[in-house]
Amino acid sequence: MQLLLNGLIAGSLAALVAGGLALVYGVLGVFNLALGQIVLVGGYVTWWLYGVMGLPFVASIAGGIIAGGLVTWITFRLFVEPFYKRHRFLPIVTTIALSMILDGLILILFGESPKSIRLGGGIWHIAGARISVAQLGLILITILLLSVLAYTLHSTAIGRRIRAVVQHPHAVESFGVPAQRLHQLLFIMSGILASCGGIFLAIDQNLTPVLAFSITIKAYAAIIAGGKGNVWGAIVCAYAIALLEQAIVGIHWFNTFYVPAGFQGTVALAVIIIFLIIRPQGLFGSVARSA
Amino acid sequence: MAFFWHIIIIGSITLLPVLGFNVVFGRGKILYFGQEVFSLAAAYAVWVLVARFEWPLLAAIAVAAALVIVLSLFFAELSLRLEPDGLGVLTIAMHLMALTIVLNWQSVTRGALGISKIPRLWFPASPAVFAAMAILIAVVWVFLLWRIDRGKVGRALAALAEHPWHASALGINRRTLHTFAFLLAAIGSLGSGILFPAYILFLTHVNYDFPVLIFFITCIVAGGPGRIFGVTAATLALVFLREGLRFFALPYDLIGPVRLILFGLILFIAVWYRRDNLFPTRREI
Repeated sequence: MQLLLNGLIAGSLAALVAGGLALVYGVLGVFNLALGQIVLVGGYVTWWLYGVMGLPFVASIAGGIIAGGLVTWITFRLFVEPFYKRHRFLPIVTTIALSMILDGLILILFGESPKSIRLGGGIWHIAGARISVAQLGLILITILLLSVLAYTLHSTAIGRRIRAVVQHPHAVESFGVPAQRLHQLLFIMSGILASCGGIFLAIDQNLTPVLAFSITIKAYAAIIAGGKGNVWGAIVCAYAIALLEQAIVGIHWFNTFYVPAGFQGTVALAVIIIFLIIRPQGLFGSVARSA
Repeated sequence: MAFFWHIIIIGSITLLPVLGFNVVFGRGKILYFGQEVFSLAAAYAVWVLVARFEWPLLAAIAVAAALVIVLSLFFAELSLRLEPDGLGVLTIAMHLMALTIVLNWQSVTRGALGISKIPRLWFPASPAVFAAMAILIAVVWVFLLWRIDRGKVGRALAALAEHPWHASALGINRRTLHTFAFLLAAIGSLGSGILFPAYILFLTHVNYDFPVLIFFITCIVAGGPGRIFGVTAATLALVFLREGLRFFALPYDLIGPVRLILFGLILFIAVWYRRDNLFPTRREI
């Protein structure tokens, strides 16, 4: 039960990040490799506003989300928009460049030492497993945010427009839908979800600059394993990867050994790579022909 | 003078993996970012066996060569099975995995502490002799890759990158070419994995981290993807800039972040400048 809860906690962070990204990939077909740094921007700004400036917690969260959204908007306007129509792989390289720049800025502004937001609140016991009130709140907020995303996509006018843009952007433009503006909106939405993930990380664990790349890679591993562009596939795989990571270190294998915690991410990524060798199109994807 | 020899040695050693990577990423346009997996595997295989288990150097090199060959076959297989962007992300994942293994397998690799008892190579006794040896190896490597690039293999790789279907119809075998390209990339990293720790007499994961991979990408993009002499010139210039930064009057804790920002900006400007030919575009008649 404890493993399941730990998986839900870690999976909620990954699902927030991967869900928004899968949507962006479905529409634009681009990868944003500075995503982990945007997660950190959301977390660090919230930590700074709350822990250093002494702002109320809700205002600090709003500040973190706005900062993450702003950096995402700049990312789109400078590092993605001028490139993705020339070749959809170009933003992979430009966002790698951005990730370096943001890494440098984060190190200068916040330093290397771990930062975290500690909230009060007790510990609950559910079927013998321990979970803090903050963690429970974070899981519920994630479910709420993903439900809002689902409702927006499937039951609102803007959601229908987004799905239409995914299916045929040129045809949609001829109907007067501003596809370009929707691209920007989706990109910023993915950044806002990532910033929420950063705030989640600051509350539940610690923020350090070295986390960025592993967050990005796990989110994209979920997207690829889920079948690229499939939002729900990415979310399911984000939770599955988190559960797998918890199971790997939590289970007493063959009653003889435990896998050391340091290898948690490595084993999970290895499983995904093996899975993709067997099924390259991912869990919910379809096969593409190649020469 | 010491700085001059240092730049020559570092530049020559860096050329080996960068030009190997250039065959796959630059000429083959294969979206792969696992070059430092080869370097990590080669460096740790050689120097762990030599420094910690007291193997003869040649036997350790043979083990490292076998390891990078197996890895190159695996990468080639992945490149055939996965879609390009999936391959890009998963090769970064493999780099992350390799770093995690090095950092956590402390009984063998000594983790973040690194391996300090790297024995000095027996023949290059002075920096000048080491520099001469490094230059010789780099020149042979540049010439070999230039010949390959100008020959049938280079043309076939370019054709495959531009239009896989047409290349396939012309009888170009994708599997053979990818395997060959990844083998060349692996050989370059094997060379640097042997020489670099032997030069600084220390082996640490920091020299194979993500900023180093991004530095390699910057060298290729700035020099012109696939161009042997362009990438060589860009690598030497950027190595000079990177190593020269330490002479600026910056606080010690600022050098790392400033270097990240500077090389991020250089990469962005290089991509902007090369945005029309970085990735394959079909030629028009």
